Order: sequence, then structure tokens, then C-alpha cells
Amino acid sequence: MQKGFLYGLKQSVPIGIGYAPVALTFGILAIQNGLTVMESGLMSLLVFAGASQFIAIQLIGQGATAWIIGVTTLIVNLRHIVMSFSMLRFFPKIGLGKLAIIAHGITDESFVLSSNILQGISTPEERSKVAMGINFGAYFSWVLFSFVGAYIGNVLVINFSGFDFALLALFIVLTVSTVTKDNLPVYILAGFLAIILRLALPGKWYLLLSVIAAAALGSLLRMRKIENAVEEEKSYES
Amino acid sequence: MNPDIILIILVMAAATYGARALPFLLFRNKQMRGFVKSFVELVPVALLAALVIPELFITADNGLELINPFLLAGISTFLLARKLPNLFVCVLFGMIAYWGFAKII
Repeated sequence: MQKGFLYGLKQSVPIGIGYAPVALTFGILAIQNGLTVMESGLMSLLVFAGASQFIAIQLIGQGATAWIIGVTTLIVNLRHIVMSFSMLRFFPKIGLGKLAIIAHGITDESFVLSSNILQGISTPEERSKVAMGINFGAYFSWVLFSFVGAYIGNVLVINFSGFDFALLALFIVLTVSTVTKDNLPVYILAGFLAIILRLALPGKWYLLLSVIAAAALGSLLRMRKIENAVEEEKSYES
Repeated sequence: MNPDIILIILVMAAATYGARALPFLLFRNKQMRGFVKSFVELVPVALLAALVIPELFITADNGLELINPFLLAGISTFLLARKLPNLFVCVLFGMIAYWGFAKII
């Protein structure tokens, strides 16, 4: 059966659930830092990047300039470059228009989920539609609940701590189908580096650095394995 | 709406969208081979580890703690997910497990 936008949208439900409390919190804090309801929602609509939005409203509250906030945003979101670069392999021959739409929806969560799901889908055309569905579901929840949070202001309506675990639970479930015997060393190395770098460095640097280091090292090892195998074959031949 | 805030939002949008779209613009339809191909294939699993592992062990005050609701709920969710390949049910289970462990501990 063909898989498309609706299939992706359905898969995105856990992300939507996980984003809701975070977006609500964002909306509430945005109001407290002097933004209006429209401005809070507009930021989520145009930026769609959790960590940098939280930092930005804090900086706005402190009276920082647009340029300082812009540079900070760029630094916090550098890892998106690595994520889009990695996603490209799913979309050979897909037009720039569609790619431009997919690009806006790339977050840690949508990227990890898409990487997992798109592997099992055969045509680039279908993959692009499923990716759009996943991204849209996440985006919709983020924007909607940012507005709601800003609108209700300081009233906390939900008191269920399980929401704090939703995104983590999603990642853990994806671990089961993503980690294989072949890439387990990379998973362990990245996790180990992430713990150390998170304790050592401020902000989200640990994500970018541990991902690049672990993926690069894992890739080097894989190359060496292939080279060794080729050499062994040669020595058999001669 | 305050024009200063609008400017800030637009600058942020440009910085974020730029980071997301630049690789698509630069490397579209380029064949990846060898090291680069293997690198991009390993990024998802590495990011998954970097997103999960610190959350399970590091507490809010930057300490390492083994008996904490995140780790306990994490292990429970992992064990269930190995038996039951349903994303939504497993996530829901994880949320309830976390809520339960957070109440007890």
C-alpha cells in the first residue's frame, strides 16, 4: 500500500503529545517576558525550535538586541545542519519546493522519527510525503499549544508529570528498532560522550559535539573494516 | 505588535531556517560515498543516544543518579517496546510508568 502524508501524520502523534506541555510552558513564559499572544505564536510559527525560543524570550526579557539573539539562535541550531545533511539521502530527485517545506519541520524529534520510518519506505516520492506528515503533526502541536499557553497565561490546567517523559519515551521506543549489532558501538560512544560533554559544557553543545564525534569515529571504523576485508580477499586471490 | 520583537523573530527564523535548508540547497542530488555516506547513516543513532542517555542519568541539579524515575521508566519502556512494536502504546505506557515512579521515589 502507498504510504503518504496521513501515514506520517499518524506516526507524529507521540511527538505532538510530547510537544504540547513544552509549547504551553513556552507560551506562558513568553507572556511573562513581555511578549504578546500574537508575538509568542508568531515566534513558534516562524522559528519552530524549542531550545532557542526559550533562550530568546529570556534574552528579550533582559533587553538583548536582535543580533545577539540571532547569533545565539544560530549557534544553538547548528546541529540542524547535520540533521538535514543526513536526511538528504532519503530524497534523491525530490524537487527544491518540497525540500524547502520539509526543511522547516526538521527538529531533533521529527528527524529521529523520520530516519527510523523512512528507511522502510521504498520510493523517494512516498518518503517525502511521509516526512511532511511527520513534520506537520509536530509543527501543528508546537504552534497550537504555544498560542494556547500564551492565551491562558499563568493558569496551569494540566498536572500530570507523565508529559515530562513523552519525548524521552518516544526516543527509547525508537532505540529498539534503530540500534543494531552493527551500530551499537556508535550508540554507546555517543551516549557516553553526551553525558561527559553535558556536564562539562553549557547549553546544547553536547548534542552537536557528541553526534559528530561518535558518527565520525564509527564511520572511520567501518571504512577500515571494509578495507581490511578487501585486502584479505586480495591476499586470498594471490 | 512591537516592531523590535518582529525583527528579533525574523532574524531567528532566518538563522534557524538557514541551518535547516542549507544542506538541501548545497548537496541536493549529490551522490554520497565512503566516509560521508557512512557518517550520515550513523547520525540518527548517535543523536538518539545523545538525546536519551544523559536524560536517564543526569538529574536536574547536574548530578549522576542511578535510582531516578527517568531511568526506571526508561528501562520499563525499553523492555515493553522490545515485546510490543506499537509506538503510541509504548509512549503512553512510558508516560504512566514515569508518573508512577515519580510518585513513589
